[in-house]
Amino acid sequence: MRILLQARGASLQALFLIVLSISMMFVDHRFHHLEVVRSNISLALTPLRYLVSLPATAGNWLNDWFSSHTELLEENAALRSQGRILNARLQKLAVLAEENSRLRNLLGSSRKIADEVIVAELLSVDQNPYRQFIEINKGSSDGVEIGHAVIDDFGVMGQVIHVNPRSASIILISDPEHAIPVQFIRSGTRSIAFGNGSTHQLELRYLPATADIVIGDELVTSGLGGRFPPDYPVARVSAINEDLILGFVSVIVEPSARLDSSREVLIIKPKQ
Amino acid sequence: MILPLPDWVQVYRPNWVALILIYWSMAMPKRVGLWFAFFTGLVLDSAQGTLLGQHALALVIVVFFNLNFYQQVRVLALVQQAMYVFSLLLINQVVLAWVEGILGRSTPVLAFFAAPLIGMLIWPWIFVMLRDIRRKAMLK
Repeated sequence: MRILLQARGASLQALFLIVLSISMMFVDHRFHHLEVVRSNISLALTPLRYLVSLPATAGNWLNDWFSSHTELLEENAALRSQGRILNARLQKLAVLAEENSRLRNLLGSSRKIADEVIVAELLSVDQNPYRQFIEINKGSSDGVEIGHAVIDDFGVMGQVIHVNPRSASIILISDPEHAIPVQFIRSGTRSIAFGNGSTHQLELRYLPATADIVIGDELVTSGLGGRFPPDYPVARVSAINEDLILGFVSVIVEPSARLDSSREVLIIKPKQ
Repeated sequence: MILPLPDWVQVYRPNWVALILIYWSMAMPKRVGLWFAFFTGLVLDSAQGTLLGQHALALVIVVFFNLNFYQQVRVLALVQQAMYVFSLLLINQVVLAWVEGILGRSTPVLAFFAAPLIGMLIWPWIFVMLRDIRRKAMLK
């Protein structure tokens, strides 16, 4: 009898938990009220995250420590010359920015030239094979907010989707549920680039067959939609598939950012 | 859990959390029960950015089955146990794939079967390793 009661208790408990988790999923999917629960669990996990990424961090540190003096000197010299080149370019840029803002003033339109950035490091990569998320080591206490754009040295990586006090989740532009408004530099054609789950390609669907596109064309963010600031490099055209029956072309583009190998990222804070 | 690995490995990665949870709920069903599974699932959901409750649901169902069968399975040979574990992992996978399906995301066939298969193959090692840990720690 007692065993029977225990068994019934377990079934009831299981039923209760099953209903509970299904309703939680429903609420999470529809209303986003559970963001608080999620960020609290995530906060509790933060020490664990640091612990897990410790071997990699320690490896890097040891590597730096033991790299020989000459190597460091070489690297130093290389970096210095690179810095000089960048500085020279920057001078030009300053002049151009000045000129740009003057011309924009003449045209009567205003646009922010420089954006404020936060430098962050990669903490982890999501292991769910259907999603493309990464975790970084800066959070709301550093000024990161949901919706901020994230770039690396080569182009746009994604945007902030969850924020915790000391870390944040980034959805990459290659996630199947992500889409980013883009513009061709050469022709000015606007489109939307969808992720398809592979870190090496995005897709532009249903462009008119007459659109002026050639392989190698570069795409930048168009700034439409307000999420991503305009004119950051996104991708380069790698293949064009024509659908002659429907009269559309779908274009495969290769992201400029190194989505699978960048360890440092920049978060762009839009100016208010 | 949160270690960066190359893309192609992701698919073949066994579901460690489910495997270890199955072992402990088999060894200590009084302590590692449905609630334990539920909260483990919530932590997993939070860590992976899936819907809050998705892994919780799958793990609760897996542990529920396990609680009903563990007495028969505990005495089986490791190979037979591994097949049983394979079916539990498959149930886990089915639940996750259902939720993904309702959300409109399809699950690739390879990803669906690869993780439970690998989980089945490594079960004997997990079992022996965790049993030794349990005996050293004198957990009952």
